[in-house]
This record gives sequence, C-alpha cells and structure tokens, in this order.
Amino acid sequence: MPTLVVYRKRRGIEAVLLVFSIAIAISGYLLTHLDIDSALPAEWPWAVAALTLLALVAHVMVRWRIPYADPLILPLTMFLNGIGLAMIHRLDLATTVTREDGTVDRMHSAELQLLWTAASILIFALVLILLQNYEVLHRFPYILFTVGIIMLLLPLVPGLGQEKNGSKIWISTGFSSLQPAEFAKIILCVAFAAYLVDKREVLSSAGKRLLGVELPRLRDLGPILLMWVISVLVLFYQKDLGTALLFFGLFVAMLYIATERPSYPIIGVLLFSAAAYAAYVLFAHVRTRVTAWLDPFSDFDTNYQIIQAQFGFAWGGAVGTGWGLGRPNLTPLAKTDFISAALGEELGVFGLAAIIVVYGVLIARGLRAALGSQDPFGKLLAAGLSFIFAIQVFTILGGVTRLLPLTGLTTPFLSQGGSSLVANWVLVALLMVVTHHARRPLVERSANPVVNFAADETMVLEGAR
Amino acid sequence: MNEYVILGLKIGFLALVWLLVLFVGAAIRTDVFGRKISTSELAAAGEVSRRGDRGDRKLARRLKIIQGPQAGLSLALGEPIIIGRNDDAQLILEDDYVSTHHARISKGQGYYVIEDLGSTNGTFVNNQRITVPTQVGTGDSVRIGQSVMVLEK
Repeated sequence: MPTLVVYRKRRGIEAVLLVFSIAIAISGYLLTHLDIDSALPAEWPWAVAALTLLALVAHVMVRWRIPYADPLILPLTMFLNGIGLAMIHRLDLATTVTREDGTVDRMHSAELQLLWTAASILIFALVLILLQNYEVLHRFPYILFTVGIIMLLLPLVPGLGQEKNGSKIWISTGFSSLQPAEFAKIILCVAFAAYLVDKREVLSSAGKRLLGVELPRLRDLGPILLMWVISVLVLFYQKDLGTALLFFGLFVAMLYIATERPSYPIIGVLLFSAAAYAAYVLFAHVRTRVTAWLDPFSDFDTNYQIIQAQFGFAWGGAVGTGWGLGRPNLTPLAKTDFISAALGEELGVFGLAAIIVVYGVLIARGLRAALGSQDPFGKLLAAGLSFIFAIQVFTILGGVTRLLPLTGLTTPFLSQGGSSLVANWVLVALLMVVTHHARRPLVERSANPVVNFAADETMVLEGAR
Repeated sequence: MNEYVILGLKIGFLALVWLLVLFVGAAIRTDVFGRKISTSELAAAGEVSRRGDRGDRKLARRLKIIQGPQAGLSLALGEPIIIGRNDDAQLILEDDYVSTHHARISKGQGYYVIEDLGSTNGTFVNNQRITVPTQVGTGDSVRIGQSVMVLEK
C-alpha cells in the first residue's frame, strides 16, 4: 500500500499544554497571595474559571477552523499571557493602601488586562472564522501598505496624538488611548509579504559588485529607501527608536528572505546606523538612553529606572525572591516596559530564562511554518510575523538587561496594555492559519484548471534517471 | 509562612515552568517525524481538503493522453495505477523525461489522488508542480515529462 508521511494534528497535545500553561499562571497568582498574606484570595476560583474558559474558547475555535495548526503556538501564547496577568496582579497588590476610614484600596490593572485578554480571544476567534484562507490578504498590497503607514503616522496628527513618557506613539479615542503602531505592524507585515512575493524577481536582479558583494540595481533601492524615510520620520517626530527599529528591521528582514541578497541587510544596517547616529547627535533624550546603557551609575536620578531594574535582577539572583516577595514595584513602569525586570527579580534567572526559551520556541515554530509552507506568500507572511516577535523580544529584553540601549517596545503578551495584547493575538491567529495550511496533508486542487502549456519548462538532468 | 515552605514553593514553581519547556521540547521532537499513513487511509479518513471539491464534478473514468509522443492513448481509472518508464507500470510512457516509477494515481471517495513517487522532473497538476499527494477530478490536467493527460468522464 502506498504510504506517505503527514503531520499529526496533535490537538490533544495542545489541550494538555494549555491546561499546563494555565496551571502555571494560576500557581503564580496563588503563590503571590500565599507569600504575601499566607492565605488564598477569595476570588481565586473565578480566576481559574475565567482563564480556563478563555483557553477553551480558543482551543475549540482552533479545532473547528484550523485543525492542522501548530499545536505549540496557542499554549505558549496562553502561558505568556497568563504569567503577564499574574505579574500585573502582583504589582497591583504592591499599591495596596489602607485609608483612614479602614477601607483597603489598590489598583486594578490586572482585572482590566483580563478583560483585554477576553477581547483578544474573541478577536482571535473572529480572525479564524473570517480568514481561514489567508490568500485573500495577498490581493491588496498597496491598499494595506497605505493603511498601515497612515496608522503608523497617525499619532503625529495634531489633536489626535498624545505624548506619554516622551514618546508620541499614542492616539486618544474618546474613552481610551490606543497605540496604532501595534496594529500597523501586522498590516504592514501582510503588505510587505504580498508586495515582495510579486516583486522579488525584480528586486533580486544583480547590479554592480562592491567588495565582493553584489549590490542591487540603483532603481531597486526605492522600496528600502522609502521604508527608511518612514522610519526616520517615526524616529524624529515620534521620538521612538523602538518603533522605528521594529518597522525598518521587519522590512529589511523580509526583503532579505524574499530576495536572498545579503546586500540588503548590509545596506539596511548602514542606513539605520546613520539615522541612529543622527538621532544621537540631535536629541538629548537619545544621548541619555545611551549613557543609561553604558554607564548607568554615573547619574542616579536620570537613570533611576534602569538602575532599579539592575538592582532587582541582582536581588533576584538565580532562583528569584519568589512571587510577591521582591520589590519590583520600585522600578517605574514595572507593568509595561519593565515587566521582564519584575519577572527576573521574583523568578530569578531560571524563571526569566524559561520565559525567553518560550519566546524562542514561539519564534522557531513560526519560522518552521515558513519553511514548511508551500506557497511563497504564506512563507513570507509566517517569516515576517515571527520576525516581529523576534525583534520586539530582543530589543525590549536587551534594553531591560542592558545588552542594548533601552527602547520603548512592548514585551509581547506580558506587558500591560490593550492595543499590544489584541494586536499580538491577531498576529498569533494569522501565524496559526499559515501553519494550518503548511501542515495539511493534501494540497487542495488548483482553483484554475485552465492549462497554459506554453509556459511550461521541462529540464533534463543528465544521468539522473 | 515558614521560610522553607516558601523556598520549596519557589523551587516547585520554577520546576513546573521548566517541566513545561521540556514537555514542549518533547512535543517538537515527536513532531519532526510525523506519522506514516497510506494514501487510501488518508482518503478514507476524509483528511482531504473539501474546498474546491465541487459536488457537480462527476467522478472521472478515464485518463487520456492529449499531448506528447503517445497522444490519443487512454486508460481506464479504478485500481491504483503507476505511471513510469518501467515495464511494471500500468501506464508506460516512452519518454526520457519520465522516471522509472514516476507517479501513482489512486482512488479516493469521489476523486482521485495523484502522488509523485520521487521523480526527477516532477509531476504537474494544472501546471503546478505537486509536492504532496494532490486531489484530481474530471477536467484536471496532469503533465508528466512531455505528455499531458486529462481526466475524463
């Protein structure tokens, strides 16, 4: 009997891992309360029920719509999201105050973040229902590109943009503020993938050689220069190095994957270095960031945040102080930019390393989907989406641990913030749709049976019979 | 709480997190090898994409060569057939571009499945080179070497 090798569906493994992930997040939450109050919180069964329900909805949607999707992506995402919720709740507890009249009050950002998680899972489900076949996204590269760029530059519109912590990457929409760049990153990734699939032949034609590297032809430098100009606009007007790096890095990485020309990343690094150096010379706050990176203890007041984070890591050591027993709340912005410092303090190097490994596996699964995908658009899309995670995790964790200068990117799924959470869940949904198509045992029949024999080429390989 | 209990819980939590990582590693390891199944089992299990499997398509009965050195020849479909240059193939194509055992067509429920048997020059369905077993029905074209075949009623 003819046999072939197919991927297993492995939805069972996904379910087991989901239960495991939720168990870890819940134990973090319970340990916090045990360590602080020596008692379990009254509402803990509700927290278990809420997380289980959300995971169940996501799992059932995957079983229904994309049964061949990668089994690891969903549980690992749920793990990161749950750990983030537990840490945000732990930081909420640190704000507990007892008023004079005896009432106890504290912040409730974890509850809000749980609502955002619920919204994210619903949108995740919606993406799976509407976009079971991602091919439709291939059709509108230029429209998506325009929409993405408009969203990216939206915070520069007077009256709409808001400046927070020195960066102008927010817009206010009546009841809450949004970070449109979080959504722009997905839209632009889709647009880049669609554009590069169509143009890669042209963009990879060789031009002059310089120092042993084949440069692209001058006229093919247009796209990379356009993205560079947009990134420079973001860098200079929104004062956000992280966002500029994310978008430019994403484009250069996808250009390299599509064309296989090493000259593009070389040109990209040179262009970005030039812009970063200009920013260093022109802006005082960039110089502050660089000093805080190389020599934080030279100025305690200015570099207070990064110094507190380093003290946190140092106090945490190998196994951490334990949930609720450190003082991560001393670091400003511990719930957003510095949540990895809070985790490093309370879970230690072992805990933070596990989280980084989970990010690594998540990115590797995405790149695996890119390798396994049969169609070039799916390949580029999966690679681009994985690269978004890779760049974000690398820059923010590098910034917090002082491997790189600090840039204000969000830590995917961990840090507090609705825009980032929803956008990253949409990203995961898209990635899982691509993996579903990559891992399905049979390709569907070609949609168009009309045959164009003239376009065929047949080659003879000598002696290979 | 007792500090030893706290230490124990702390270590226990980290062990749980790393257990998850190891479990994920094991899942990836088993995922690498996949699962071996037969073509007919695959078809019977309904693991074929139903998209584009239009109900109005009648099940094809013949495979007819419409281009190439043996144009005009046709063959009844039904039992699994092997196409190749070798004498034991059901459809022997006298063509240097065809491998000894080039492709196999077997029957599913309401359609046929064609798979490439590791040929040198590939098998093309509707002008796209196939890399995995692919569903074909009436009107679809199959190109192997210099020959083009269509599935007919």
